[in-house]
Parts: sequence; C-alpha cells; structure tokens
Amino acid sequence: MRRNDPVKHFFLWPAVLAVLIIAIFPLIFSLANSFMSLRLIPPLPPRFVGLDNYIHILGTERFWQVVQTTSLIAFTSVALQYAIGFSIALALVKRVRGADFFRVAFLLPMLVAPVAVALVARQILNPTMGPLNQLTTFFGFPNLPFLTDASWALGSLIMVEIWQWTPFVVLLLLAGLQGLPDDIYEAAELENASPWKQFWTITFPMMLPISAAVIFIRIVESFKIIDTVFVMTGGGPGISTETLSLFAYQEGFKKFNLGYTSALSFLFLFVVLGMSLLYLSILKPYLEKYK
Amino acid sequence: MNVRDLRGKGRFWAAFGCLAWLVFTLFPLYWVAITSFKSPVDVVGGPTYFPFLDFQPTLTAWKELFSGVRGEFFRNFWSSMIVAVSASVIATIIGTMAAYALVRFSFKVRLASGIAFFFVAMGGYLLGREIFGVGPAKASILAFCIALALSIFINRYRLPGPVLGNDDIVFWFVSQRLFPPIVVAFALFLLYTEFGKMGFRLTDTYLGLTLAYVSFSLPIIIWLMRDFIASLPVEVEEAALVDNVPSWRIFFGIILPMSKPGLIATFVITLAFIWNEFLFALFLTNSKWQTLPILVAGQNSQRGDEWWSISAAALVAIIPMVVIAGLLGRLMRSGLLMGAVK
Repeated sequence: MRRNDPVKHFFLWPAVLAVLIIAIFPLIFSLANSFMSLRLIPPLPPRFVGLDNYIHILGTERFWQVVQTTSLIAFTSVALQYAIGFSIALALVKRVRGADFFRVAFLLPMLVAPVAVALVARQILNPTMGPLNQLTTFFGFPNLPFLTDASWALGSLIMVEIWQWTPFVVLLLLAGLQGLPDDIYEAAELENASPWKQFWTITFPMMLPISAAVIFIRIVESFKIIDTVFVMTGGGPGISTETLSLFAYQEGFKKFNLGYTSALSFLFLFVVLGMSLLYLSILKPYLEKYK
Repeated sequence: MNVRDLRGKGRFWAAFGCLAWLVFTLFPLYWVAITSFKSPVDVVGGPTYFPFLDFQPTLTAWKELFSGVRGEFFRNFWSSMIVAVSASVIATIIGTMAAYALVRFSFKVRLASGIAFFFVAMGGYLLGREIFGVGPAKASILAFCIALALSIFINRYRLPGPVLGNDDIVFWFVSQRLFPPIVVAFALFLLYTEFGKMGFRLTDTYLGLTLAYVSFSLPIIIWLMRDFIASLPVEVEEAALVDNVPSWRIFFGIILPMSKPGLIATFVITLAFIWNEFLFALFLTNSKWQTLPILVAGQNSQRGDEWWSISAAALVAIIPMVVIAGLLGRLMRSGLLMGAVK
C-alpha cells in the first residue's frame, strides 16, 4: 500500500538535504576544482586548465603503481576472506561443537577500530620484540622484515585485512546458508550424493547471488583502505604499500595542490566505478543462470 | 538429526578449524590486553605471554593514561563519545523517517531535473567564480540554492526522459557508499575552510564533524530500515488512518515503537561505524574535536615503541565497541533482532 500525502516530504527531505549538502555538493565542487589549477603553496591565482590535471596524473608512473597496489590488496584479501569466511559459515551452520560461542567471538574483529588493529599488528609483527618473530625464530627464520620489505609488508597488510573483515563475510554468508531449504538436501541424501557433491551442486550455486553481493561490498570497501596502511606502514617502504586513498591524502595535505588532488580523487572514483561495472557484467550471466 | 549436520571425521576437522580461527581472532586482542599491563622492561625484553607467570603485571600505563601525562586523553574520549552518540541518534531518526517515507508513500523524480541540478550547481559555481569573481564559498552557496530551487520547480513539469520512483531513490542513497570517502572528505575540507574564511567556522567543530557523519551513515540506515519497515504489518496503520490519525503521529506513535528491534540494531551498527571512523576525523578536525582513532593513530609516531602505553590507548578505543557487541549478541540470541538481521 502506498499512499499520497503531502506530509511525505517532511519525512524524506531531511535525509535528502543532508546527503545533497554534505555528499553530493562537495562532489560537484570538487569536480569543478579538478578542472582548475589551484594551489595553496605557492598561492597562485586559480585558473581554468580543463583536463590538464587528469592528463598529468594518467602520465605519472606513481598513480599506476598505486592503482596496482590497491587492487592487489583488495582482490587478494577479499578472495581469501571469501574462502575462509565460507568455510567458517559452513562449519557454523552445520552446528559444529560450540557454534553459539564461535558465532559471537568471530564477530569481534569487525567492531575494532582499524587504527587500533594496525597498532596491535605493529606490535605483533615487530621484528625483534614481537611474538610472531619468536614463532618464526623457532622454525629457523629470525627477524623477518614484516613491515620493512615491500612484499612482506603487502602480505602483512593483507593478513590484517583478512583478520578484520572475514567476520563480515561470515555474518552475511551464515544468514544466507540458514535460509536454504532443507528438502533439497534430504532428496540429495536419498540419492546418496556425497557431501562434496552436495556442496558443489546445491549449496554453492544457491549461494551465488549472496556471494556476489558480499564480494562486491567487500571489494568496494577494500579499495577505500587508508587507516590500516596509514598506521602500519605509512605507505612504505618507499611507496610500495601506498593505496589510492593514502596517495590522495599525501598529495592534498602535504602538497596542498588542490586541483590536482581533486582530479586524483575523481580518477579514484572512476577506477572504482569501472571495476564495479566490469564485475557486474562478468557476473550477470551466472546470476541469471541460477535465478 | 538434521541432514545437513556433519558426521564423523568432518565434524572433528570443522571443530579443529574453528578453534584455529578462534586463536587467530582472539590472540591479537589478548596480546593488546596483556601488553597494557606490562612494565617497560617486560616489553623490551622480548615477548612474554602469561601475567604472573612470565611477567609481573603493573598498572603504570593505565595510571599514566588517566592522570593525563599522555596528552589530553579525556577530551578526545569525550569528543568521540559525544560525536558518535549524537550523530548516530540523529542519523537513525532522519534515516528511519526517510525509509518510512520510501516504503509507504510514492515519489516521482524526473531524471531530467536531477541532471539539471548537477549542471546548474557546477556551472553556477564555475561561472560565479571565474566570471563574476564571487568568493568560492558564496559562489557555492548561491549555485547550490539556485540549482535546488530550479530542479524542484522543473520537476513539476512533464519533461522528456525517464521518471524515477522509490526504488531509484533508495539506489541513489545506497550508491553513496560506492564513492571513496576521500573524494568527499577532501572536498568537504576545502568547503569548510572556505566557510571558515567567511566567519562561519566548521573545521574542528562539533557541528562540522557531526554533519559529515550523519549524512555518511544515512545510506546504510535507509537500506537496513527500509527492509525492516516493509516487513511491519500495514493493517495497524490502515486502522489508524480510518480514525484520521495524522501521518506524523502514526510514525512517532506506531511505527517507531514497532520497529524498536531494527532501530537498536541499526543504531549499534551506525555507532560502531562512526566510533571507528578515521578519514573524516583526520580531515575535518585538528585539536578540540579530534576523535579517539586520530589520537590512537598518532601514538606510534609520537612515542616509538612504548607499546605498554600505546596498548592502553588502543584498548580504550576497542573496549566500548566490544561491550556493545556483547550486548548485541545477547539481543540476537533472545530473538529480538530476528526481523532485522535476515
């Protein structure tokens, strides 16, 4: 039932106005700025430069490296989050011993502030005083450069992302698994289908829509990563772990090159949008097949 | 016995895997908790794991934290608290109102008027700035008001192009989550600075930060509450309508009390999101209204490896949300949230 009553505007408009003023308008403002040469240091008068900022950024090697790093972190960590999260959700839905306790405990990381997580990770990964070092020393690899070597640092960041966000995947997949109908499994059991076959022919296809949604949300969110990187490595060593958000922050806050930074953040937006469209178009045939 | 239950070996391995993951999940939290009770010597001397067994716990870090030796900790804590709680309350109310409107009333927005808003706002800003030489803040306010008035006005007329309905409005709200926050945070910082130059200070104020958080939590609130309100029985409202109860009283007197479980869940999710938020606080505050995540992030660069005090500070940021998670878990088990978390 949908009714028509002028009072509806009173309900909807506060939210629309808030989003328009605080989210949409700054976006337009920043899009306008991205076509200008606008600097605070040295304070030159602003002037209209068209697409110059964009062309300049697309020509810098650093931008492409940062896009690569961010994609690497996002895709690797989300793939692992999904694999681990699906296994945990399956175990929980099959009522493993202590499932009720696990269900609450597994949610914890999601609620911890990412900056705090990063600080704890720094302690644990400390190459001399950290507990992980003691563990690896026991296996014969003392003082591994967890945060000071490019590939180790990337690995550590991915690890922290997995720690923090697998719970989110578990939460949503668990809800999906609980909604699957029992009778299909009963039929499969009568035909003596092995658990392995049941998973690939029943569970996985039926979970495909929700899986697609979860992966999509996680990838979009992972692309925004800044706080963990900011605290753990600061983008270093060099710029090997610098992500898109961090790069834009450095350009905007350290160099105060405003037009350039606005253009950069819009390119970031295009990267995310392009990737989402690609993802959706790849996935579409599969989703329709199992509908 | 349920057909989907595990049997035999599989059951054992699943339990083993869950235990392993539990250790992986809880170890960092355990580690930060014990480190905050260690003395400097115990930290620097290499990892120690069990209080009383291989190190003697002390309260040094906590005493330092609460006595204020470590900077204005309380002020950051309270600004975090005030901003997080008030922004989530406001956002939950506004968002629920919008969700209610989108479920029970029908809206029509012409795509053409939305596009008109975009072009008039941007063109007006550029024109005002480049040609008329108006200051950036004034130009943006003027462009915004003119664009909004114009698009509301032309929405009344039959324009070519598709007409967007309620679902499209919801999609518009939710699509805000797709945008990288740095795009908006940076632009917002610039806008706030421009307003500051006009004598209306928004950077590092309660108002500026709360506004940003309210509008950034709205998409997820509207998304969650829409499903929840749609699942409420419509008969109660119909009965009230027959009795000529005004719509605002239906909302506050009937809808809000009925959707209490959903409201609590949504509120908690929003609260956690705002409490942990880093980027906006980094851009929009610098001293007075700086939130806890910013203070915690600064610890490491300020004090190097003083892990005992850093751990205590990190714990203060962690504990409130863990307590809330515990409460939420209890609520979930009592079935109160069954409708909200599908």
